Amino acid sequence: MKISVKWLGDYVALPPSVDELARKLTAAGLEIEGVERPGEGLRGVVVAQIRESVQHPNADKLSVTQVDIGGSALFQVVCGAKNFKVGDKVPLATVGAKLPNGMEIKQAALRGVDSFGMLCSAKELGITEDSSGLLILPADTKLGIPIAEAIGLDDSVLEVNVTPNRPDALSHLGIAREVGVVTGAQLKVPQPKPAESGKPVAELVKVRIDAKERCSRYAARVVEGVTIQPSPQWMQDRLKACGVRAINNVVDVTNYVLLEYGQPLHAFDLDKVAGQEIVVRTAKPGEKLRTLDDKERTLDADDLVIADRDRAQALAGVMGGGDSEVTQGTKRIVIESAHFHGSGVRRSAKRYALHTEASHRFERGADLDAVLPALDRAAQLIAELSGGTVVPGRVDVQPEPLAPRRAALRYARVEKVLGVAVPEAEVRRILTALGFKSVEEEQGQTTFEVPRARVDVEREEDLMEEVARVYGYDNIPARLPRGLETLAPEPLSMEAERRLRHALGGVGLSEVVNYSFVAPKSLEVLGGKEAPIALMNPLSVEQSVMRTSLLPGLLENLSRSVRHQVESVGLYETGRAYFRDAQGGQGMRPAAREVPRVAGLVWGLRGGGRSWTQKDSRVDFYDAKGAVEALLHALHVEGVAFTPAEAPAYHPRSCAQVALKDGTVLGLLGEVHPRVTKALGLPEGVFVFELDTDPLYAAARLVPQAAGLPKYPAVLRDLAVVVPLELRNEEVRRVILEVGAPLVEDALVFDVYTGKPIPEGKKNLAYALRYRSPERTLTDAEVTAAHQRIITEVNQRLGAALRA
Amino acid sequence: MRDRLQALADAARQEISGVSEPSQVEALRIRYLGKKGELSAVLGGMGKLPPDERRALGEIANTVKAELEQLLADATKRAEEAALEAQLKGPKLDVTLPGRAVLPGGRHPVSRTLEDIVRTFARLGFEVAVGPEIELDYFNFEALNLPKDHPARDMQDTFYVDEPTLGHAKKADSPSLLRTHTSPVQVRHMLSRKPPIRAVMPGRVYRRDSDITHTPMFHQVEGLLVDKDVSFAELKGTLDAFVKAFFGSETRTRFRPSFFPFTEPSAEVDVTCASCGGKGCRVCKQTGWLEVLGSGMVHPNVFTAAGYDPKEVTGYAFGMGVERLAMLRYGIDDLRMMFENDARFLAQF
Repeated sequence: MKISVKWLGDYVALPPSVDELARKLTAAGLEIEGVERPGEGLRGVVVAQIRESVQHPNADKLSVTQVDIGGSALFQVVCGAKNFKVGDKVPLATVGAKLPNGMEIKQAALRGVDSFGMLCSAKELGITEDSSGLLILPADTKLGIPIAEAIGLDDSVLEVNVTPNRPDALSHLGIAREVGVVTGAQLKVPQPKPAESGKPVAELVKVRIDAKERCSRYAARVVEGVTIQPSPQWMQDRLKACGVRAINNVVDVTNYVLLEYGQPLHAFDLDKVAGQEIVVRTAKPGEKLRTLDDKERTLDADDLVIADRDRAQALAGVMGGGDSEVTQGTKRIVIESAHFHGSGVRRSAKRYALHTEASHRFERGADLDAVLPALDRAAQLIAELSGGTVVPGRVDVQPEPLAPRRAALRYARVEKVLGVAVPEAEVRRILTALGFKSVEEEQGQTTFEVPRARVDVEREEDLMEEVARVYGYDNIPARLPRGLETLAPEPLSMEAERRLRHALGGVGLSEVVNYSFVAPKSLEVLGGKEAPIALMNPLSVEQSVMRTSLLPGLLENLSRSVRHQVESVGLYETGRAYFRDAQGGQGMRPAAREVPRVAGLVWGLRGGGRSWTQKDSRVDFYDAKGAVEALLHALHVEGVAFTPAEAPAYHPRSCAQVALKDGTVLGLLGEVHPRVTKALGLPEGVFVFELDTDPLYAAARLVPQAAGLPKYPAVLRDLAVVVPLELRNEEVRRVILEVGAPLVEDALVFDVYTGKPIPEGKKNLAYALRYRSPERTLTDAEVTAAHQRIITEVNQRLGAALRA
Repeated sequence: MRDRLQALADAARQEISGVSEPSQVEALRIRYLGKKGELSAVLGGMGKLPPDERRALGEIANTVKAELEQLLADATKRAEEAALEAQLKGPKLDVTLPGRAVLPGGRHPVSRTLEDIVRTFARLGFEVAVGPEIELDYFNFEALNLPKDHPARDMQDTFYVDEPTLGHAKKADSPSLLRTHTSPVQVRHMLSRKPPIRAVMPGRVYRRDSDITHTPMFHQVEGLLVDKDVSFAELKGTLDAFVKAFFGSETRTRFRPSFFPFTEPSAEVDVTCASCGGKGCRVCKQTGWLEVLGSGMVHPNVFTAAGYDPKEVTGYAFGMGVERLAMLRYGIDDLRMMFENDARFLAQF
């Protein structure tokens, strides 16, 4: 909310500087987000009167004027404008002034005539875009005063960030109260007493509240004989400073009092209120209302309206209606000052997307005790500014008068909760200054009556918050948290995830973080079977469903890299995929099944890019598998099986299912199906993996156990076998280990070869076998015998032939 | 015979001194000292000599043999040295060619920052808890003292989930949404155990907002400490300690009263701008301060919702935006870069 400092000064003595005021309010919880000083750029510009004007001797378009700024001498100023006459009052930028547009005023000779300053247009002063001529000031403007003062810009405007719990601070009086509390200055509250005459109000208008649960008070006054005209400059200046457009004297007063008291008001043209009857009720089915923004609205049965005898005239607490609007011809007005309940106003305001000054305050909670003072203040001001008279009395309907809330504070509790002993006298001073009244004193505690403006205060904690913020958070000491009785071990998944990141980083993959929501299309293209969970109000269709796979994000990242000529891409992400859970949303059970995963992608040149050390080669299945193996290795997860698999998103020839030793499937690994890459406009040769991390982390051995080192030397022998092309390494290896047991410790495939001289349909696999006994050094003869046995068995079982 | 020995020794000395290659030295060793070498040949006839002479000659032969062995060893050493010398004098490698390593991939700055935050709090004994991202309205709002139709809900624009797509067999207890903060994890965590509690809760959060300074998804770390007689002073101390550990020991904090529905009193925490040290610069918009944390004492209504008795326990909670901290830490000036995942951006971390 915008607060005019000049206006604020009407109610309380202010600190010497605006900066200090801003600092103090911020420290008390009313954050000043900015200070506008509209007149700041106008230093050195003063009000001058043109005493003389003659044609410039050397220039047709220029005049030479003599101007008076109230001093002993006249200034000679050359001027190019034509819209003035002698005697006019205009702004003079004196020598040394710097205008908002950056122009610096110097003494100069213009076509040979000396000029001591510049007469300014409104545009040059940065007020409006009007550059048609000099800004002509009203004739009664004082000579020599700063121009900022003359045009109402000698003010500072505070931009206060009022948190939703503090509707009491949405007014100049509310902020003034806070200033008084933090500086100790006395608050001066206006005491309006409108002069009354004429028929009593009760004879002019009747008020009835039908919807008692939505409106706790409705008060009204009538002003007769009003003349609708612009309000005086000072009021317009203040409204403008607060960002409110001036309309006419009646509407301006209602806005002025709203900004002063925080109480929303509305003025109806009494002669347009059918039956001179005001009814507060909910809308009838299909009822229509043309609101002040000139939109015809069909109302909802939940809307609260202010109606006359016949129909709705205003949307209560939100906006008035056009039919009873105050217009040029209005003679009698009825001023409404009411208290509507927040949640209903909020629903209506949301329904029509009408966020108004009134709805903003009612939603948060208006001050029930401001209803009458604001009404009187408005009636008095309107009478003053419009020449009307206030009729005697108010209408005041209050279905159930509510007693103010009470809250008790135990003084000892302050120290316990805040950690500092605020003296009781200071606690009392703070609360009293904030308007809290002691109503009951007991040993060590006081019960306070809560000012009605403070809708946020209900209980002891609320009182302590008041004490804390005024006492000053800076005055509360800082203490480290208390010692621990036990230290819970870190969840294994944390460390597991750290190691996984290290491992994937180590093989050259970069971590990405993608949005959890994706386009439905990007899941469909991957052939996902599960219907994704959709958002009701997505920002765009591109972010409208929760991902069931991390791959769409990675593929999108790849697309971006390809566009930017990156030649080698390696990425991974850890995050969740989201699935339906038929039993979800009951009690503590989450609404959906969220599955933590890791996914990776490699594409392009191997090894991070081109290198002089090797020929360019492109990544393949085994680069992706290597990344998976690296992370399994880092977690010490052993016995993981990779078996051929088929899945919609994957190339049928190049896809493996990854499963733990106990059979738990972790996920898939493989080449993205060429149809998918094509559909996404991506190049081919994209390899990905996606694994569930919960079972992976559960299987991780984060504290590996050491095994003793072998005591006897190993004997190494190579074995090359020619086997059918489709026979897999793991099958050959299993036979070797089985037959070679217990002497063969390991068999590592170190070459896979097809082509001449290997026959068509066959391949050559070469293994490095390591023989060892835990009990003795093996003899050459033993190893040779075992090796021979393996050759024979492999041949027999797998139809392999030992390569010559 | 003696003369023959001497002649052999002379010839050998001569030849050994002339060689420079290890292979030549080896050839000479075989020629003179091998089993069938010249020395053996000379000594072959010794058997026929009388014992006295044989002994004397034997001594001479041993001396010659020892001498030649030494000479050969020296020659080997000399030859090896020469060969090494020659090799050392070869053309220098191009040390400016790049090495062969595959460079490690980058860690995403958000993930790094998140880990740093969690690790820092771990030093203060905070454990880690997580919760669902698709959350029930009840946990995200109501249990946190944000009733329906409350204006404070405007502080967070919410993504709601299209209920039928959740496939619930039975209507859920309250509408589902994408959590707007990590605070619901507080409630779930408290519901699942008894005090004392000391935990941080990192994770993704979502708000329906997208512009230069907002992304619809971002990360928060929430913290919660609940025990008997926890005071605001401890909250200040904890966050001050965190800020110094995270930003550097010279960093100062400023606590400002603020409002969050789930804490009371509430405080925004500012830290001195690291770019200018608090003098005022572009990063801190000339204020010298940066707002980095929200915090406060846990509201009694939250304790009640979590099944704790607010008369028995007090506690504090705090929350921070990870992206903001990451931007400050790594000098990133455009939030949106965080989720574009441009390879050229990621390679910097």
